[in-house]
Amino acid sequence: MKALTANRLIDGEVVFWTGAGWSERFADSVLFDGDPAAAEAAEAHAKSQPTLLIDPYLIEVAAVEGGCAPVSYRERLRALGPTNRPVDGKQAAGGADIAILAQAHGAARSKGRVDLIRRK
Amino acid sequence: MYRYDDIDRQMLADRAAEFRDQCARRLAGDLTEDQFKPLRLMNGLYLQLHAYMLRVAIPYGALNAAQLRALAHVARTYDRGYGHFTTRTNLQFHWIKLRDAPDILDELAAVGLHAIQTSGNCIRNLTADPHAGATADEVDDPRIWAEAIRQWSTFHPEFSFLPRKFKIAVTGSPNDRAAIRVYDIGLRLHRDADGALAFQVLVGGGLGRAPHLGSMIRESLPVRHLLSYLQSILRVYNRHGRRDNPNKARIKILVAALGPAEFARQVEAEWALTDHAAIDLPDTELARIRAGFAATAFETLPAASAAFDSARAGSRAFARFARNNVLPHKRGGYALVNVSLKAIGETPGDCSAEQMEVIADLAERYSMNEARVTYEQNLLLPHVRLDDVPAVREALAAAGLATPNITLISDIIACPGLDYCALANARAIGIAQDIARRFADPDRAETIGELKIKISGCINACGHHHVGHIGILGVDKKGEEFYQLTLGGSAAEDAEVGKILGPALPAVRVAEAVDQLVDVYLRERQDGERFLDTYRRTGLEPFKEAVYVPTHQA
Repeated sequence: MKALTANRLIDGEVVFWTGAGWSERFADSVLFDGDPAAAEAAEAHAKSQPTLLIDPYLIEVAAVEGGCAPVSYRERLRALGPTNRPVDGKQAAGGADIAILAQAHGAARSKGRVDLIRRK
Repeated sequence: MYRYDDIDRQMLADRAAEFRDQCARRLAGDLTEDQFKPLRLMNGLYLQLHAYMLRVAIPYGALNAAQLRALAHVARTYDRGYGHFTTRTNLQFHWIKLRDAPDILDELAAVGLHAIQTSGNCIRNLTADPHAGATADEVDDPRIWAEAIRQWSTFHPEFSFLPRKFKIAVTGSPNDRAAIRVYDIGLRLHRDADGALAFQVLVGGGLGRAPHLGSMIRESLPVRHLLSYLQSILRVYNRHGRRDNPNKARIKILVAALGPAEFARQVEAEWALTDHAAIDLPDTELARIRAGFAATAFETLPAASAAFDSARAGSRAFARFARNNVLPHKRGGYALVNVSLKAIGETPGDCSAEQMEVIADLAERYSMNEARVTYEQNLLLPHVRLDDVPAVREALAAAGLATPNITLISDIIACPGLDYCALANARAIGIAQDIARRFADPDRAETIGELKIKISGCINACGHHHVGHIGILGVDKKGEEFYQLTLGGSAAEDAEVGKILGPALPAVRVAEAVDQLVDVYLRERQDGERFLDTYRRTGLEPFKEAVYVPTHQA
């Protein structure tokens, strides 16, 4: 499964594609399951919104206990906030969806935006 | 403290206005991200994991009260109420919004602060010995020269598009508190054979993927030729530095490839062709800058202070603070007071808006309106009367800033790591917190003595792990956070790159491994040896056995 993420241009906030717009919560993500063409189309659409977004890219998502979570630890941190300050970032809002992400285990190699940063 | 003149102030105001226009054009779609990104980076604005990050330059780590208060105001108004001091003596705000950035640059410019030279392949913000102007062991004040380089290098058209970023550090002391051996250029002021002020010039130091210590290419450069000689070094680098591979583009790679002697020969040849007088600082300008750093009005005080001595005798906590955080000043009756940003369990280098204001008040009232940032991610009040140290300590303690751990095991350098940084592979802050908590007992920390732990979340080494007595590098092992330990590094005058201890450890093992290393040290140490001295005498083996054998047997 994949989800589509980016940072919002005006404030840098991490956002996720909902199928109709952009949400600050990972739980609102539309998940592309077995439909790579749809995922790529969504990514292309995101790239056509340069006054709204920076560096949109697709991330791997997997089923975890209670729901879904990004496979990579880096992406879960983006969806939650820094571990040294639980009062900052999206995790501060709390809720069941945040709890699912925070409890998700395992990690996978992900370079996140690193390739996007280096390419430019 | 040096004050920016009208030209500087106008330059900062113009720069902020220019960036405001650039931001507006980006938001309106008139600039693409590819066009805008280098412009925002040149103003210190990076995109990190959770938001934009603004890196504010603090030239040679010097701050006054008004600047600290402005930083506090930015932290409170536009960020989450805190900032993070870095190993480059800059301050990073981690939660900045692009729409606010122009207003922030305006506020900073109003107090002579900016984000110039904090990104890009230019000569970056200068660093210097944080004890400058206060320590007895310096031959001249390095800030004077750092400021001269700042003025010369800011927006220097020839050196704005170097093969890679370029960092210069200056010290006036044989005791290196500015890590000059790991800088692209390290400058050490000393007296030459004739007693004249001169620079020892080191080139090609650096950490990151390929750590190198700087090599001396000139033992004694007459100080008046500083700028023309720097120009010659930069010209050789600009001409021959590799632009085909960012990993090999730093000057350290060029110096290593040519060999320091050949590099020095090319610099000297370039310098011989240079019209020195056209480049070097005129005496009048040097005198003007020097006057800006003229010793503020020190009082003539007795060397000893009854108030200080009685506080030390009457309070174990004060005595401990005095032992670890207070250093002798060049003037009798004064002291340097270290402000620890390493409270146990807190994030190394983080400073809240309230704490910045406390330090601003103390600097203004007790330290001749000066505070300094150290590359070890602490602050310093450079000119405190011994009589006032008890009051300063009390105010610091009330704000959580008096942890008596300077140079001890819990005085840990840690980069922001994967908690914030888009380049990191692993977290650094959490590891630092684990270790600090494990060694929270101040008696035990003092028994262990000087032990410098430095943690980086990736090979770019912002946390200086290569030069930690114990260095810790976060690596990504099949997507899991692992940590590679190195031993025996030093960023001081006895600089050395550490050696890898063994296979990387999982996060949960790191603090325990540090404990095992410390146990070996306490077992093996001989009279007066620091951890580093014991390691140098015994080598890696006893330490390696302690960390790895139990795991293998388990």
